[in-house]
Amino acid sequence: MSGAIETFAPSGVLTLGVELELQLISNRDFDLTRAASDLLAGLRNDAEHGEVKLEITESMIEINTRPRSDIAGIREDLAVLRELLVYQCAKQNVAVCGGGSHPFHHWPERRICPGERFEQIHARYGYLAKQFTVFGQHIHIGCQSGDQAIWLTHALQRYVPHFIALSASSPFQNGTDTAFASSRLSAVSAFPLSGQAPAAVTSWDLFLAYFEMLKDCGVAESIKDLYWDIRPKPEYGTVEIRVCDTPLTIERAAGLAAFAQCLASHLLRVEPTIDPQLQELVARFNKFQACRYGFDGVLADPYLRTRVSLRDDLMLTLTAIDEDADHLGCRSEIAALKEAVRHSLNGAHWLREEFRKLGGYNDVVHSAVALFARPSSPTSP
Amino acid sequence: MLNWLRSVWEEQQERLIFLPPFPDQADPLALFSLLLVSGLIIGEVLHRSLRLPRIVGYVLSGTLFGPSFFGWITVESLAVTRPLADTSLGLLLLEIGRRLDLRWLHRNPGLLRTAAIEASLSFIAVYAYSCLLVGLSPAWGGAAAAITMASAPAVVLLTAEETRAQGQVASRTILYTSLNCALSFVVFTVVLGLIHAEHSDDWLNAWVHPLWVSLGSLVVAILTAGLCLLIGGLLPKKSLAQVFVLVAVALLAVGIARMIAVPVFLCLFLMGAAIAFLDRGKILAYTELPQGHWLLAIVLFVITGASLPWRDFTLLAGLQALGLLLVRAAAKLAGVFYGGGADLERSKRLLVALGILPLSSTAVFMTMELAALYPEFGRPALALPLFAAALMEFVGPVLCKLAFVKAGETDEERSRNGGIG
Repeated sequence: MSGAIETFAPSGVLTLGVELELQLISNRDFDLTRAASDLLAGLRNDAEHGEVKLEITESMIEINTRPRSDIAGIREDLAVLRELLVYQCAKQNVAVCGGGSHPFHHWPERRICPGERFEQIHARYGYLAKQFTVFGQHIHIGCQSGDQAIWLTHALQRYVPHFIALSASSPFQNGTDTAFASSRLSAVSAFPLSGQAPAAVTSWDLFLAYFEMLKDCGVAESIKDLYWDIRPKPEYGTVEIRVCDTPLTIERAAGLAAFAQCLASHLLRVEPTIDPQLQELVARFNKFQACRYGFDGVLADPYLRTRVSLRDDLMLTLTAIDEDADHLGCRSEIAALKEAVRHSLNGAHWLREEFRKLGGYNDVVHSAVALFARPSSPTSP
Repeated sequence: MLNWLRSVWEEQQERLIFLPPFPDQADPLALFSLLLVSGLIIGEVLHRSLRLPRIVGYVLSGTLFGPSFFGWITVESLAVTRPLADTSLGLLLLEIGRRLDLRWLHRNPGLLRTAAIEASLSFIAVYAYSCLLVGLSPAWGGAAAAITMASAPAVVLLTAEETRAQGQVASRTILYTSLNCALSFVVFTVVLGLIHAEHSDDWLNAWVHPLWVSLGSLVVAILTAGLCLLIGGLLPKKSLAQVFVLVAVALLAVGIARMIAVPVFLCLFLMGAAIAFLDRGKILAYTELPQGHWLLAIVLFVITGASLPWRDFTLLAGLQALGLLLVRAAAKLAGVFYGGGADLERSKRLLVALGILPLSSTAVFMTMELAALYPEFGRPALALPLFAAALMEFVGPVLCKLAFVKAGETDEERSRNGGIG
């Protein structure tokens, strides 16, 4: 890859695409296992509904939907890809599940997948590459121009905690309860170009100039080196939200995609005034609150100079996008998310409940495998 | 030097009344422990310098210091250590029995088909070779074929563990090993009847002995598996107490098997399979044998090495054994390669076939069980599988490791630095 970003390839506004990183699990003890290459070799991809791809370590796999104009298409793609993957995994005696982290795997046992890019990452980042065996959902939202993508990158930044709380499903690491709802993002934050898009980058031209500077200084070679929470993706013509843990069910993954689409629609329609510099001042605090406390977090509002409950703000946001949800055919997904917020139903909550009931991390993963494999209700975590 | 020491000792005996008579022979236990340490050292040296599996070193140590060469350990001492070897092999077979994953076979029936073809081809090829080319009688030819259709569970398990192999080649090698052990044990009990039919005037033995062996092992296995799960269910999952229960009940099964004269290896294999099948609540599913695995391995392979009858080895016997191994390898390769498994690439199917080629301790101990029935006929007839097993003691672990390494499933760097386990 040359690394040059020349043009932003525009796509249909508010079109959607979803990427889910999934865990490959041993059926014997429910630890992570190295299975990605064998799995992919035996898989007949269904190009009509997306693809299954390697991720950085052999214990991960990524499924990508096709770009879709509505949530129904995303739901169908995810369901077909899940079925395909569950079937193939069963034939090879491995299992697959969602969740942002594996509760007890030992990261040094992970193996980097074959491939030039993966080897480069390993060479550049050392042990961080193996510790990066965490699992996220990325949501792409189509934009008509680079400027629009940059504007949405900043506009959506305020809602990063909302996405984190809804998707949080990584409460356990190394066989320990981390006391976080989402501990996954700690692994991401170790990378040098993680965090928020710089406030000074307010247009596509400024973004190009910023990226050229990074390239000239040898800081980044391609846009993939920017581990931002939200970043433009010029080759797809999208803005990409990257803060979500992979939920435990594809139904929640579809719900998050619906939320992103409705929220982007709402923001583009209302065009609120945003101040990236002001947002940047509280972004890390707000993100921490969501990671640590989930729905119970508290957000700093730099515009009103006050603190608000994340749960309340999330409910207000979900209500504010009702009109867009109706228009985009996402009513049931948004209703399910409201229900989830009301009852604190996210993956972290579900996993902790399972641990309380079952008493062992192996059994928790066993349950997560079973939950992922079957169609669930829209309110499932 | 020794005489001087003896005279000093005897002088002191008059004054020191607690002194025993001068020990003319080394205590078997002390000798045996020295043998274990030498096995450990040779295994480590071969592993570090030539990157050979440690098992090869253990067998080499047993062979060198056993009755066939230096004779540090005598035939009598070897007989004393037999319960230890039974226990070691039994515990490793318990583990391979626990890997008999019937749910995987249900989800991927092609695997069962492949295993059945591979084991059948192996049996037919070795049977034909033994009867037609070597000239064994049908019953003893059947015995040789039954014994050699099994792969070596201990070798496969320990090699996978030593190299930290993970992937389809390692998983399928373990599964096929587990399956062909099961099939081999079934055929072994049938062959018991055939041997009685050939050598005994009384047909009762021909019917009752296989039933005794199979049903006896099954009953012991189910009862002990049930006991394990019953007690294990009262304890915290993955606790040391659960490991203790697993090992203690396995030892109980070894004891009962020896008392009622059913093969220990069959009992423990069935016990492992019964635990895996009955453990719906995953009570013991995550409980591993302790790192003592490797102590067991040293004990097992040192004793196996010492038990190999190299004194009776002749060029003809060696060539016949080599022929058997080639025929067996061709059958297993063909079985796994053409038997199905389209969901795995061809090159990896070949590696699985390579991985299941080891043939060792189980075969040696099965041969001993059979030979003890009719020593005058059995010993010469079973020299063929015994020498085949002896050759494979050294080659088998290397082939198995090669399969895992070529498949890219090992964690070589860690196993080099990490030492045993």
